Parts: sequence; structure tokens; C-alpha cells
Amino acid sequence: MQSIIGKAWVAKGYVMSFDMILQRFWTAPVDPAENAKWVMAGVDEAFNREDGFKNMGYTFIVAGHNFAGGGKSIEHCITGLMGAGIQAVFATSFARLQFRNAINYGLPFITCKDMNLHCETGDELAYDPATGTIENRTRGTRFQSVPQAPFVAEVAAAGGLMNFIRQRISDGSVATLR
Amino acid sequence: MGMTITEKIMASNSGRESVVPGQLVWADIHTVMTMDYLGKQTFRAFESLGAKQLFDKNRVICVSDHLVPPPTPEFATMLNEWRDVVHRYEIPHFYDLGRQGIAHQLMVEQGHVLPGRISIGTDSHANTYGAVGAVGNAVGVSDAAVAMATGKLWFRVPESVRFHVTGTWQPWVMAKDLSLHIMGMMHWNGHLIYKTLEFGGPAIEALGMAGRMTLCNMTVDLGAKNGIISPDAITQAYLSGRTEDVWSPLASDADAPYDAVYEVDVTNLGPMLSRPDKLDDTAPVEALAGTPFNKAFVGTCTNGRTEDFAIMASILRGRQVRRGVNLLCIPASTDVYLECLREGYVEALVAAGAAFETSSCGPCAGIHTGVAGDGDVILSAGNRNMKGRMGSRHAQIYLTSPAVVAASCITGVITDPRSDDWT
Repeated sequence: MQSIIGKAWVAKGYVMSFDMILQRFWTAPVDPAENAKWVMAGVDEAFNREDGFKNMGYTFIVAGHNFAGGGKSIEHCITGLMGAGIQAVFATSFARLQFRNAINYGLPFITCKDMNLHCETGDELAYDPATGTIENRTRGTRFQSVPQAPFVAEVAAAGGLMNFIRQRISDGSVATLR
Repeated sequence: MGMTITEKIMASNSGRESVVPGQLVWADIHTVMTMDYLGKQTFRAFESLGAKQLFDKNRVICVSDHLVPPPTPEFATMLNEWRDVVHRYEIPHFYDLGRQGIAHQLMVEQGHVLPGRISIGTDSHANTYGAVGAVGNAVGVSDAAVAMATGKLWFRVPESVRFHVTGTWQPWVMAKDLSLHIMGMMHWNGHLIYKTLEFGGPAIEALGMAGRMTLCNMTVDLGAKNGIISPDAITQAYLSGRTEDVWSPLASDADAPYDAVYEVDVTNLGPMLSRPDKLDDTAPVEALAGTPFNKAFVGTCTNGRTEDFAIMASILRGRQVRRGVNLLCIPASTDVYLECLREGYVEALVAAGAAFETSSCGPCAGIHTGVAGDGDVILSAGNRNMKGRMGSRHAQIYLTSPAVVAASCITGVITDPRSDDWT
């Protein structure tokens, strides 16, 4: 598996799910292209325009505690980030509802302690999914993330939880899941 | 090595003798709840899986709570589409306008959750179900669809954190105050994220089901996976007549491993508030006494139960809500509404100048029935106070207990309910 290379946006405070997807979009269809248009609109005024976040061209988000917190279960937070080109999020901790959604959609939410304190927005990062190492090429620093559980990789390889289950319903093996 | 109550539930519902924190299991789901706001999406996701039928239509619980009565033509249409889906699947347990309530209240009150079993819902406050000793878990649309098709869902067995709560509850101090106290004590620093919060000890055993529901409800706002209280005689009495399903008592083992154990003594706990925008920015009522506000709200899956309106009525009966303050009350379910009518709480509160609305989530999620406008300062017994939660992003929300709301409505400023004996 090749390293993913790209620019990071670094959060300065809590990033809340309510601000990632504003209320008027909560009942919109789950669609990465559509959800990406206004994703992160409430997080920073600079993103509060159509394609505001997407046009910044970030590949990664680096954040502190409780990323995507606030208790929304809406999957638009994840599909919006994916549609905007985000390929991994690194945070000290993730809010569990969106952590779960990220696993179910195959977007890597990677726990990496306090990395946000040592990165700035615009830094170029290289993430190696095989080893979990993250290199900050702008600053010449490296971070080791917490490895993902095998199940998470299995779901991602299947193209997400829905596909994972579709395959097992179709071949009859769903009953064996334990 | 012993197991905690949540570990036991994860083990017994996944066909295992034992589990350990961090383990991944596919566990059987007792009930799946979905509601008007996300329900159509949930059924559409279910249909895309290729399953021939629902795992058990008696165990898919459908509720109209976020959008009723619909405030706009768009929401009315969404609600009609939702009703069409529910009728197409011939769902027996459909709680719609007229027999409605907030999903989490109904799940517990109507006996759809059971001690020792796992129930999920497509709304975050599904943690409420822990009040009867169930694992209640909030999930996204995909997870609910998978459970509706297979009767199962994946879980990572959480580490358990125990709050051992002792002491004597002071008058006018409620479970909500303990919730906010714990919020301020633990913050969103990541320590409680993904974990089970288990509440036990004499001060928890002294709580009725309403207080237990408040406490478990807000564990999602602490970042936890679930909150849980071992079933006891109070649980037994509450569930009797609400469910025919059989359940067995269960509790954590004495030697169960905990990630942390916190001791809390409620004897010195007073009324608490959370300042606008950040839930974990809490303060005792003394620190905020005298703060003016113009709107007040009691309702929601956190504090919309009979006991909540009872304490308000005991403060406001024969008194008046100050002019310039709008107090809105929304019972959490039709049964709660009827009970409050029978007990005279509605009459006492309406006579005092409170407005009552039919059961729904109301303005808690900023959708309808008294949403916040620019410049509003709201004293709310709900569960969240981030910017824009109740409507305008230029409103401020103080979270607190129904007792603080009631006492403050008389004066128009934040007031300690212990300042009077309200006789």
C-alpha cells in the first residue's frame, strides 16, 4: 500500500459535528459530492461558502480531542469530508458516533496523540497506512499512530459496511457473523 | 476475572462466555429504533442491502418525534413519505402524532428495551435505555439498516468507568445536576470517549426511573458509548406491566475490572448549570445567580418526564412566571402528558403562565415549536447548548435542571431553587 501525500488542515479547537454539517443539510441525501459542497461550513468562516472547504485542497485533517463531537449520528459528516478530498483524519480522540460512521464508510480516522500541537495548516504530510507512520515533510517530523483494528481494514477493503454486509447477505454467510 | 454489566451483556448477546474490552463482537439486537427525521433514509439503506425482509418487524420501532406537528410544507411532505414507508412495512409499533412521544422516552416507557439486551437508535440519546440495565447505543443510518436486515451489529467492547455515588440528595437537587457536575468534572478531554459509564451506589439506588433516564441520557454528551444502571426493585416495578418479555437480574461482578472508578458524594451537590456554547463549561447556580434570560424550556428526552413537571409545579403553583419570560413546557410522551394532566401539574403550570405544547423534540434540536432567535438568552432543561442548537447561532443557551428553570422563571434571573421552601 502506497503512502498518501497531501496538505493538512489543522483544527484550533473542538470540531463539532453540528458545525461540520449545518442543520439545513441534516436531512439531505447522503451523497459525497453534494455533502462536500458545504462540509465544515460552520467550523470556520472561510469555509462558509459553496465548496469553501473542498476548494482548499486539503488531503488530511489534524485535530485534538473529540473530533466530530456533539452527538450527531448523521453520516453526511463523513461523506462530506470524503467528497471534499479528505483521505484521513488524525486526532487525539474522536467522538464515537462519527468514529463508527468513518469505519463504516472506510475513511481512516486515525488516533495520534497530540500531533495537532506540532503541525500547522498547510503542512505537507505523508501517511503510510501499512505502518501507521505520519511524516510531516514541511517540518521534518514523524508521528506514530495507533494501529487500526483488522476489522476496520476488512470493512474498508469491502468498500464500507454496507458492501461488507451486502456480500454476506448475497452469499448467505451473514448468519455466521459473531 | 469478573465482568462488568456491559461486558456481560456484550458476551451473552454474542454467544460468548466472556469478553474483554477492545474485543470486536457481532451482537444480537433486541430492538432498532428509527424516527421521522432519518427513518426514510434508514429504510432506503435497508432496501439496498438485498435482505428479503426485516429481521423482525415487531422489533423495529418507528417514531415521529422530530417533525411533529410539521412546521413547514417540506417537513410535512417528509413526514408523509416517512408514514408511507412505515405503513408499507406494516410496522406494528409506530408512534405517530396523536400517540406520539420522544423516541427514547417511548422505548423505555413502552417496554421496548429490556435489561441485559442491546437496543440501538438512529438518534444520539439512545443511551437513555441504560436506565433499565440495557445497553442503549446511538448509531448511524447504515448501522441501523444492517441491524434491521440481520438482527446483529458490530461492537467494540468498551472499557468501563464506574461512578460510585453516595450521600443524600438535597431538596431541589436533581439527577440533571449530577450529570452536569460530572460533565464539568470530566470535560471533553477524551477520557470518557468510547467508554461505558456505569452508575451505582446508594444515591443511584435512591433515584427513580426518571432520574436514571436523565443520567444515562446525557452520557452520550460526555462522549461515552453507553450509560448503565443495574436493574433493581425500582426497575422491576417500572417494567412490570410495560413488557411481557422475560429478563433476569444482572450486575457487575465485585472483581470486575474498571478503567477508572470515581466516587461522588451528592450530599454537597447543589443545582448546576452549563454556560452557553460548551457543555463542559459548568458552574454551580451560585456563580450565575442574577443572570437575566428571556426564554425558558423544559421538555426533551433528558428532562421532559412527569417527575420534572412535578417539581416545577411544586415551585410555580400559585406563583407567576415573570412578564418578559416565555416558559415553554413539552412532555416527553403522550403518557407523560396524560399523567401530568391527571396530577394537576399542567393546570398549575399553565395558570402560572407557562405554555404547553404537544409531545415532540420541540425546539431542542432547533427545528420547530419555539426555536431561538437572535439575542435570545434561554434557560433550558435540555441536553445541548452549542451555537445554533435551538435555532439562531446568535442565541445563548444555559442548560440546567427543571427546578432551576422553575425558580428562575419567577424572578426572570437565574435563581437557586434552594432559596425558598416553596410551601
